[in-house]
Amino acid sequence: MKRLLLSVFLLGLGSMAAQAGESSLSVSDARVRWLPGDLPLAGYFAIASHETSPLRLVGATSPAFGHVMMHRSVEEDGMRRMVHVEGLDLAPGETLAFAPGGYHLMLMDRKQTLHPGDEVPMTLRFSDGRTLDIPFRVEGVQVE
Amino acid sequence: MIGGRSRTARRLASRLGVLLLTGLLTACGDRTSPWALHDVSGLMPDLDFTLTQASDGSTVHGENFRGRVVLLYFGYTHCPDVCPTTLSLLGQAVAALGTGAGQVQILFVSVDPARDSLAGLKEYAAAFGPEVVGLRGSQAELQALTKRYRVSYGYGKPDAQGSYAVSHSSAVYVFDRRGEVRLLGKGTDTASALTGDLRRLLAESSDSSG
Repeated sequence: MKRLLLSVFLLGLGSMAAQAGESSLSVSDARVRWLPGDLPLAGYFAIASHETSPLRLVGATSPAFGHVMMHRSVEEDGMRRMVHVEGLDLAPGETLAFAPGGYHLMLMDRKQTLHPGDEVPMTLRFSDGRTLDIPFRVEGVQVE
Repeated sequence: MIGGRSRTARRLASRLGVLLLTGLLTACGDRTSPWALHDVSGLMPDLDFTLTQASDGSTVHGENFRGRVVLLYFGYTHCPDVCPTTLSLLGQAVAALGTGAGQVQILFVSVDPARDSLAGLKEYAAAFGPEVVGLRGSQAELQALTKRYRVSYGYGKPDAQGSYAVSHSSAVYVFDRRGEVRLLGKGTDTASALTGDLRRLLAESSDSSG
């Protein structure tokens, strides 16, 4: 299947733009695994920073969900559980992958009926106040 | 006296030989094991439980699944990442069997019966395919099964919305057509590795059942 590839270039804000020039982030493979009913869903994506200074991803929001959290699935002594992630540092040149079995956005309290093939808007939020709008494609249960 | 010593020495040599042979066989067995997953044959009891089948509300037992190769996995529907990832992997492994897929059943046992209604579990299992059977039980029924296979699970503290996380074993138990435990997977095995093992089990079980 052809992967959704989105590159988003952000212009630096205000005086920062003058100092640091153009800043850029690219997000790829933004997808949600569909599950029936109002079960919480997982959102996955990869984000690459082409910035010159570190960034910290602190969360996401979406009008399609009442509540979005960053989670990580961990395994300890053969037991799987989810831990809440407050923020994730993104160094210049680094790519962070939110992927099955690891980091994921936990999307709760659906505000609309969703089907595989739909697209939901998502806003990634950073500690410096910046935001990044990315559409997430709703896929079937067989997300990779 | 010399003869006695000699017999003792021979017996000792013989025992050492057996030990060495056992060691070699074990070593060879490990190296040449035909299984991609961990072989746990004979280490756990055969498949037995009393639970409610979400698809029709009927009470089912382990013996209802004799004649099929069974994958047993524990999870909960409010688990957005690990459980669907594992179920997808198991589903892919089974689908790759082609015509043999109909002889494999994936049993998804809820470790969160308080939130997993039969209707919700039915819809959830169906989303993953016809080979996935959603099973739910009372805490007593669930514990009888989890103790049998030394599976642990626990509940996290509820948040402001009343939702809570459930920690659970990542183990996938594989039973042959006679209901005997054979393999232990971790949910992180590749689908192709699992398919290979399932194919072997299907062939072997057909042979032994005549």
